[in-house]
Amino acid sequence: MTIEALGLEKRFGSFAALRGVDLKVEPGELLALLGPSGSGKTTLLRSIAGLETVDRGQILYEGIDADTISLRDRRVGFVFQHYALFRHMTIADNIAFGLKVRPRRERPPRAEINARVEQLLELVQLGGLGGRFPAQLSGGQRQRVALARALAIEPRVLLLDEPFGALDARVRKELRRWLRRLHEEIHVTTIFVTHDQDEAFELADRVVVMNDGKIEQIGSPAEIYDQPATEFVYEFLGGANRLPCHVEGGVALIAGTRLTTDLPRDFTGDAVAFVRPHEIGVARPNGHIDDVAQVRSILPIGPDARLDLEHVSGHIEALVPRESLDAAGIGVGSRCAVRIARARVFPTS
Amino acid sequence: MRAERPSLIDPWPVRIVVGALIVGFVGLFLALPLYTLFAQAFAKGVDAYLRAIDEPAAWAAIKLTLTVAAIAVPLNVVFGLAASWCIAKFEFRGKQLLTTLIDLPFSVSPVISGLIFVLLFGLQGWLGPWLRSHDVQIIFALPGIVLATVFVTFPFVARELIPIMEAQGTQEEEAARLLGASGWQTFRRVTLPNVKWGLLYGVLLCNARAMGEFGAVSVVSGHVRGRTNTMPLHVEILYNEYNLTAAFAVASLLALLALATLAAKAALEWRGRTEIAS
Amino acid sequence: MTLALDSVRRGQRAKVLPGFRLTLGITLAWLSAIVLVPMFALVSRAAGVGFDGMIASATDARVLASFRITFGASLIAATINLVFGTMLAWALVRWRFPGRRLLDGFVDLPFALPTAVAGIALTTLWAKRGMLGQIADGYGLQIAFAPPGIAIALVFIGLPFVVRTVQPVLEELEPEIEEAAATLGASRLQTIARVVLPELLPALLTGFALAFARAVGEYGSVIFIAGNRPGQTEIVPLLIVTKLEQYDYAGAAALAVLMLLVSFVMLLAINLLQRWAKKRHGN
Repeated sequence: MTIEALGLEKRFGSFAALRGVDLKVEPGELLALLGPSGSGKTTLLRSIAGLETVDRGQILYEGIDADTISLRDRRVGFVFQHYALFRHMTIADNIAFGLKVRPRRERPPRAEINARVEQLLELVQLGGLGGRFPAQLSGGQRQRVALARALAIEPRVLLLDEPFGALDARVRKELRRWLRRLHEEIHVTTIFVTHDQDEAFELADRVVVMNDGKIEQIGSPAEIYDQPATEFVYEFLGGANRLPCHVEGGVALIAGTRLTTDLPRDFTGDAVAFVRPHEIGVARPNGHIDDVAQVRSILPIGPDARLDLEHVSGHIEALVPRESLDAAGIGVGSRCAVRIARARVFPTS
Repeated sequence: MRAERPSLIDPWPVRIVVGALIVGFVGLFLALPLYTLFAQAFAKGVDAYLRAIDEPAAWAAIKLTLTVAAIAVPLNVVFGLAASWCIAKFEFRGKQLLTTLIDLPFSVSPVISGLIFVLLFGLQGWLGPWLRSHDVQIIFALPGIVLATVFVTFPFVARELIPIMEAQGTQEEEAARLLGASGWQTFRRVTLPNVKWGLLYGVLLCNARAMGEFGAVSVVSGHVRGRTNTMPLHVEILYNEYNLTAAFAVASLLALLALATLAAKAALEWRGRTEIAS
Repeated sequence: MTLALDSVRRGQRAKVLPGFRLTLGITLAWLSAIVLVPMFALVSRAAGVGFDGMIASATDARVLASFRITFGASLIAATINLVFGTMLAWALVRWRFPGRRLLDGFVDLPFALPTAVAGIALTTLWAKRGMLGQIADGYGLQIAFAPPGIAIALVFIGLPFVVRTVQPVLEELEPEIEEAAATLGASRLQTIARVVLPELLPALLTGFALAFARAVGEYGSVIFIAGNRPGQTEIVPLLIVTKLEQYDYAGAAALAVLMLLVSFVMLLAINLLQRWAKKRHGN
């Protein structure tokens, strides 16, 4: 199903959770809403589900205004962050709930419901556990029950709010892969919320990066990683050095290296450059002053080494092949020249 | 947040019907009785009201009620502090049983609370003959009333303090001890400040019950006007004599005490909530 | 006393905190003097009657009638409180309206108001010439000095119990559970019936049991409004007092022990209920 959000705005008291959000979700895609807490991603998800009414804007399901569709007819499979399982019902009853509450005319016969529950239990790898209560399951198992319950109503769209947030790291990784495979199998339009970029990049076809109630960038994981559109996205993805620099005629001087930027030819002024550690190289000092840094520490990581460098423009982290250090005779405490291979430069506002 | 979730909002027809039922129920069972109380007390004017209270038997009842509360409440405060200290701060076998026994007076009919002391100290009771030969009177006298009152208010303070002390654990006290504080200093300067609002709350409830208890006190008092009548018993006598204005006048004093207790309770709860929030 | 000595050893090994011996000593001494010894006096006095004597006093026609009216009125009152207490708790937790905090505090009035005071106010209100009694009389109903009056007094004194047990559970109830039911296609009514009420069930039953237990033992508020006619509107606590006034100590003690047994069973039921709730919800 195609879902469109047009100009969504939503306030909670004085807090603006959504400030003009436009988004189109393609049929069958797996979309991640990525952002820090308070960025509006959960509010967007809940608004799409119909659990939140927006102050302004419209949500379209297949081109139809979702406001005119009741919660029951939307057929949204929603998986809550803490699962919201019904504690007094068995796992099987939890999964069957959405079928059992249908009006009598639309309700499948009991045998069919039971068969469907069994099938879903198998799908989420919980066969034989239908008689247990939620309290008797582990976190990862509850997660899958919540998913099975959402899938039972044959949803047109599956919405997951921080689906792995409450799980420990190992289970989270396993479930992530499992969910990816499941999506490839059933291919239902899926949107999930996360604040974990690894999770978003590993799972999603497209990632929506949100900040402060607005969308910063939409793109495939590779696009987002290779071409962060804004300063915020760079900062949020983390790991990059943030170096103040000066731009003259579109050319930036970053820690002694001159680089042509994407900025207009006639741009002159202060800017900030984002440089990833592996985009930095080091060499023996060659008489220049402005590219020289002091090596504070060296941490070997496999064939590479992570360098902490102290440059006049600030602290720089570099990731270089270890042999290049030996070749240049660089050790802790020695001086070296910094070489920037690539950078993205944003003018200082 | 809750009110913002559209799928949780009760539809207006439901609100109106349920709201009307609630208003009817609260009006019928809480508001109208309270209104009747004060309406009857002032039915014959303020002068009649004041005259009903300013009368020797009424003063004697007020004095006796204050005396009983002044003895019973401190006793139960000391007990409540001791009980909550050993139950909340230490582990020992039989703790669960002890907690249950402390709560016992709450689940006993007030009549039985009085009866047990009559069976113990009454003329035909266990210690009755001995007490009589030594000319000590407990039943139908102040000591009996105090005993019955202590019994019915027994759990109040302990019950408020135990959960608070348990939640606070023992680390602060242990730290105080390691810093060289004596046992008494630890209690006074660390434990007591931490539980003071809970303690006040318990005292408030204990006091309200001590002054208002009827059944238990009625059984042990003997209803001697001007001597062993507490305020609730005095209300009963006046009422049975069809002296309604006077009965309701004295009753209104007790009702004011109840309302003051509720107000103080709400204030304490509000205070506790803001302290937690800050 | 082995309990105490054993405890002292265990307690002191574990802790550096002082005062265990002292406070446990005070607690046990005070508990014995005020609660245990007098209760023992009661039980031993009742035991003096013997088992047959207990049966005889329990099956006496007047006693049976008083048990019937006490339990009947208590059951009706607790049921009324269950229904209205749940609605009241719901409104206090879920709705925002002016005067909500005031109403919240007002619910505790029956806890704070002396029972005798409540008794005379309710009687005056529901007597034939009282404000509400008049209206009922117009329909040929007698409230005060008849069984309905007893039930009304018991509704009053039991009112806070259901509200105060249901309210915190309702506050803790995750709103996501209801949203989950809604996204799965349940109507609001289905959500309440199948998801919310089952979650509240332990609290509902506990509140009901507490209100019932309190009603069974109630004396002060009932004796004014009941009329106290033997066999018709005489409650068990009043019968105990009557026997005591006739110096029938053994008979009073026997009845008291029977009532204690009832409260004991109720207490046990409440404990089991709470254990069940804890187990089911796995916390």
